[in-house]
Formats: sequence, structure tokens, C-alpha cells
Amino acid sequence: MTTFKLPDLGEGLAEAEIVTWHVGVGDTVSVDQPMVSVETAKAVVDLPVPFSGVVERLHAGPGDIVPTGAPLIDVAPTVAASTAAGAGRPDATAANSATVVGTVPSSDEELIETFSYARPPAAAPVRGRAVPVARALAKRLGLELDSVTGSGPGGLITLDDVLASANVSASPPAIAKMAAQAHTEPTPLRGSRRAMAHTMTLARDQIALSTVCDDADIEVWGKAGRQGGGYTLRLMRALARACIVEPALNAWYDANENARLVLKHVDLGVAVDTPGGLIVPVLRNIQAKSPDELRAALATQKEAAHQRALTGEDLRDFTLMLSNFGTLAGRYGIPQVVPPAVAILGAGKVRPDAVVVDGRVEAHLRMPLSLSFDHRCVTGGEACRFLAAVIADLESAE
Amino acid sequence: MIEAIAMAHAWEMQADPNVVVIGQDVGANGGVFRATAGLQQRFGTDRVQDTPLAEAMIAGMSVGMAAQGLKPVAEIQFMGFIYPALDQIINHMSRMRYRTRGRLSCPVVIRTPHGGGIHAPEHHSESTESLLCHVPGIRVVIPSSPARAYGLLLAAIRDPDPVVFLEPARLYRAVRQEVADDGRALPLDVCFTLREGGDVTIVTWGAMTAEVLRAVTELDKEGVSAEVLDLATLSPIDSGTILASVAKTGRLVIVHEAARNVGVGAEIAALVAEHGLYDLQAPIQRVAGYDTVMPLFRLEQEYIPSVRRIVDAVQATLAA
Repeated sequence: MTTFKLPDLGEGLAEAEIVTWHVGVGDTVSVDQPMVSVETAKAVVDLPVPFSGVVERLHAGPGDIVPTGAPLIDVAPTVAASTAAGAGRPDATAANSATVVGTVPSSDEELIETFSYARPPAAAPVRGRAVPVARALAKRLGLELDSVTGSGPGGLITLDDVLASANVSASPPAIAKMAAQAHTEPTPLRGSRRAMAHTMTLARDQIALSTVCDDADIEVWGKAGRQGGGYTLRLMRALARACIVEPALNAWYDANENARLVLKHVDLGVAVDTPGGLIVPVLRNIQAKSPDELRAALATQKEAAHQRALTGEDLRDFTLMLSNFGTLAGRYGIPQVVPPAVAILGAGKVRPDAVVVDGRVEAHLRMPLSLSFDHRCVTGGEACRFLAAVIADLESAE
Repeated sequence: MIEAIAMAHAWEMQADPNVVVIGQDVGANGGVFRATAGLQQRFGTDRVQDTPLAEAMIAGMSVGMAAQGLKPVAEIQFMGFIYPALDQIINHMSRMRYRTRGRLSCPVVIRTPHGGGIHAPEHHSESTESLLCHVPGIRVVIPSSPARAYGLLLAAIRDPDPVVFLEPARLYRAVRQEVADDGRALPLDVCFTLREGGDVTIVTWGAMTAEVLRAVTELDKEGVSAEVLDLATLSPIDSGTILASVAKTGRLVIVHEAARNVGVGAEIAALVAEHGLYDLQAPIQRVAGYDTVMPLFRLEQEYIPSVRRIVDAVQATLAA
């Protein structure tokens, strides 16, 4: 279909008035047939039909004023006219797809569109603007980002914001808020306390922790055995002997290499409670030392721990650990194994218990024991045999 | 659209005596698609010149004419024929301003049909715009409606630097639109917002706007409100409008007919990754032609991104 527009009728006139149509919608018309009479400011002019075809639409009726260039009539070309492809008709308005290759799809569909190129105004604060890793975590946690307050520039939601919002860990903004409410300042962790936080986080993430508990009946020790660090010395001897019975707990485990190293010497880490925090000096080769040597070494190391005089060498590479927490309080506990070691023995508060001896109840002193082990490389059988050996040695008279 | 293009030529030839039209069959024949019909009759053979079948010569002649003060508008009959002209376009046209330290510019427009959908033989349906967008010193422009064809072609002819003006062949006669022949140009280097929406931004250009607008009608029924940007100037990209829209919607789907690999869509995705990453609520999706030769006509509708593929991509970003 082709639209013919009112041409400039040669006198620079802006418009013309329709007087009479000589054709009607549906008429088959041919070029140069009289089409319409229009009146300009100067004269009545007859316009001929510009293209052959069938009249589809008259854009104005008699009496209407039509501006120059406005659509006047729509004519659907006849088949003969539209197959004049490539004939080179010099008429820009000819409905002539004219390409020598292919078929250009055509339709009479009227395109009604609005478009703008004004840059949209600066965006209002954006909902849920987040770093991608924060967005991904929020999605995994099922957390609506809209509910998270962003602490980054321009309200950007960071990973910490999502963690804080999900209450996964106390983040710095949270502790600052709590401190403000308590009218105090948060204290950064330093030194041994900081080391503990790091080590225990590592231990918690890595170790498959199991704990087994039992009691040693130490009634036979008599008063003499309980004095002057006696408990710790007996525990060290019991551990050294248990390592001979069951060596699997005196070992290092490397999860990355999936290998363990069962060790012949026993380097015992002894947990020491100090005002500055937990310190674990190491007593080397306890299996080869006499009780006097052990007593002297223990006293030296404890003193050094309290004086904060231990060197890195004194704290490194224990193969087994002992925590004699019962000197303070507590019966059983779940001591935490510290990698690469695979076991730790905790000793609780010694106290008289009602025990059954030969069918009769008697009061005996007993030491509660809690043995934790890394179940990734230590079996329950190994752990229980080890604990049984510790108890057997503790229950012997000397 | 084809009439709007012819109209823009005629307006600017009338207004500026330095505008000349050259190309194969642009004169007596009026152009392979009729984009220059009637111009030779009206403006004479000095200003509308038929050339031999030699694209390198057409481009080279344009460079020479431009250097001497003319404003040539040259037609390459199909985008698949532009490759012999690339030497002139890249080595001379694009860098005339640079080479002469600003003494000469190169006000050339190279017009060529773009894309498939017209049942044409091989290498008549190319959409290799990214080849040209990669070249510094050339604007690459593509309209998507008769009104924008008219306004952008006028702007391209008036621009003092070279413009490759791509014309979506399957839109030449696809729709009718009243376009006022008033000589008013539209701006280059800006996106046109065809539709405003809040859920997803769709960036597209050329003939794909038709499929995108049909997809948007389907998405409307599902309650999804899409913002549609017609990129219009493919190089340089109007980053401001795209980033502002993504900041608003948080999601971006890019639709182009050209092959996916190193297409202009990849550049837009990189732009948003660099400057709008924190606004994104879902990974960017690209809906593109396949990384193969544009097939012959029986398969071309399989190649051209369909309404279905566009709707699916939008839904994928909404689900992410």
C-alpha cells in the first residue's frame, strides 16, 4: 500500500481544501485518472491518480483543509505494479521492494511508538545494592537483602553485613554497638588470648572431636602422693606409659597429606592458666625423664609461663596434651584437641566418691578423666585402650 | 523505513550542496533496496553517482571526496560486501583526523543493510557490527524505526567524522510510521528508551527491537515490567543510560542478532561488570545469534533470537 501526500501545488501554498473526490474507497484506479479537486487560495486544481491500484483510504473529506505534505489517499498497488521489481522506477514512494536477492517482508502495520533519549534522573537510593559474594551468601541463607542494612559506601551491603544480619558471627559493628550500650570500649585480643582464639577456631574447624570419660581410683596413693605437684607428675607418668601400650594417640595428623606420624618420644604440652591467658609449655621426652627431672622441668616451665618468659621453642610441637583443670574445679570436660596432635587428656577435681569394693560401699578418692581424640585418625578402640592404660598406671601404688 | 531513509537523503542534499551519494546502482536504479530512489533524477548525476562493483573503491573515493570538502554518503549493497572496503575504512577513514592532527576530518557516511530475515543467499544477511565497533575513530549507528532512521541518518550525514550507518534490512518495509520531513536530526551517542520498566533492563538494537518488544508484551501478561533500551549508537556506547537503568532494575538482558562470541553484547556486559556490578541482582544474560555462519533462509529463523529465547532469558534473571 502506498500513501500519496498532498504535494505543494507549485505556489508555495501551505494547504488546500478538498472540493470533490472523483474516486472512492474500493475503486480500482489507474495512473492519471482524475482523483480529487482541491481549492487553494488561488484556484481549484484537479489532481490525477498517482499510482494504479485499489483505493484503500481517503484521508480527508470534502470541505476539509489538508496541509501540504499530509497524507491524502492510500492506494494498494495492483499485482502488475508491485512486480515491477528491479525495473528502476524513479519514484521514491513506489511500493517496490526492488532488491535482486531475497524478499523484504512488508506489512501495512502502523508503528505507534514513543521513545525518549533523556538520561533518566539520578537514581534514588537503590534497594539491596550488594557485593556479589554478599548477595550469594544471603541467597544461600535465605535472607532477604532488603532487610540488611549496608555499611559500605552508599549503603552497599558487604559480606560482613550479611553475616551480622544472619547472626553467623559477631561482626565489628555489632560489638561496637554492644560496647556503646554498656558504656565501655571493646578490648582487642592480644598475645596468648589472640593465639587461643586462632588456634581454637582452627581446631574446631578441623578436628572430628570425640571424648571418652572415666575415673581412676587413687585411694592407694595415700597422703604423700598427693602433695607438691603430685597429681601432675603421676598423670605425666601415666601418659608416658599409656603411649607404650597404645602409641596411636601420641601422633601428628596431616589432613592435607592424609598421613599420620606416630611418634616414639612424648613431648607433652601442659596447659597452664595464667592471668595473661592460656599458655601451653612443652616438656620434652617425658618418657625418658626421672620423676625429679620432670618435677624440676615442670616447675621451671610453669614459672616461665607466669613470667611470660617462654620462648617460641618452649611452646612448639607437642605430641600430646594434658590439662589438669581439676586443680580449680570441674569433674569432666570436653577438652579440645589442637592439631596436628590427635589427643588431649583432661583431669578433673579429685574427690572422695562412694565406690563399691567387694560388694560393699566404701569412700575412695577418685580422679575423673576426660580423653578427647581426633576421630579422623584415632579409633575408639585405641582411645579406650589408651585411657585404660592411663587408669591402670594411676591406680598402681607407685 | 526505506522511505524515511530516502527522505533524509533528499532533505540533506537539498539543504547542503556538499552532500553527494555514491554506490552501486544508487543512481538510475535507485538502490538495491530503493533507499536512493529518485535522487539522481532530482539532484543530477554529479551528485548521485553510480560506481563500479568495487567496494574498496567506493570507500576510498569517499575518503578522497571528504578530504576535499564533500560529504559523501556511500551505499554498500549488503554488509557481507563491506569487507573489501575495510582497508580504506580502518586505515584511512577512521584516522584522517588523527593523521592530520585535526586539520582534516572525514565526514563520510557508509550505509549498508544489516542482518537477516529477508530470505537472502549466503553473505547477504550479515550482522558483523562488532568488527567495526572495535575500530577507534568510527561511529557505528543502527536505527530501529522509520523515525529513528530519518533522524539518525541526518545526524550521521551532518557529523564531521565517519559513521557506518547500518540499516536493518528486514525492517525496511516491516511497518509504516508517519515521519515528519522536517529535517530534524536525532542525537548520536545516546540510547533510546523505547519502554520504561522496573524489573529488568533489556538492551538491544536494530531489527531485534521487534522481537524484544513482542517478548515484552508476553512478559507484561506475566506481570514482568521490562525497560527496553535501543542502543542505536553501537560505538561509542551510551554507558550512562545503561548504568542508570541497571541501577534501577538490577537485572540486565542483552539481545543481539550477531554471533555471541565477542559481540557488542560482551562489551556491554563488561561495562556493567566494571561500573554497575553492585547494582546487579542476578548474572547478566545474553541472547544472541549462534557462533556459526548465518544460515540460509530455511534456517535463518532458528538463528535469529526468538521471542521465546528472550522471554526465557528474562525469566532466568528473575529466578536467579
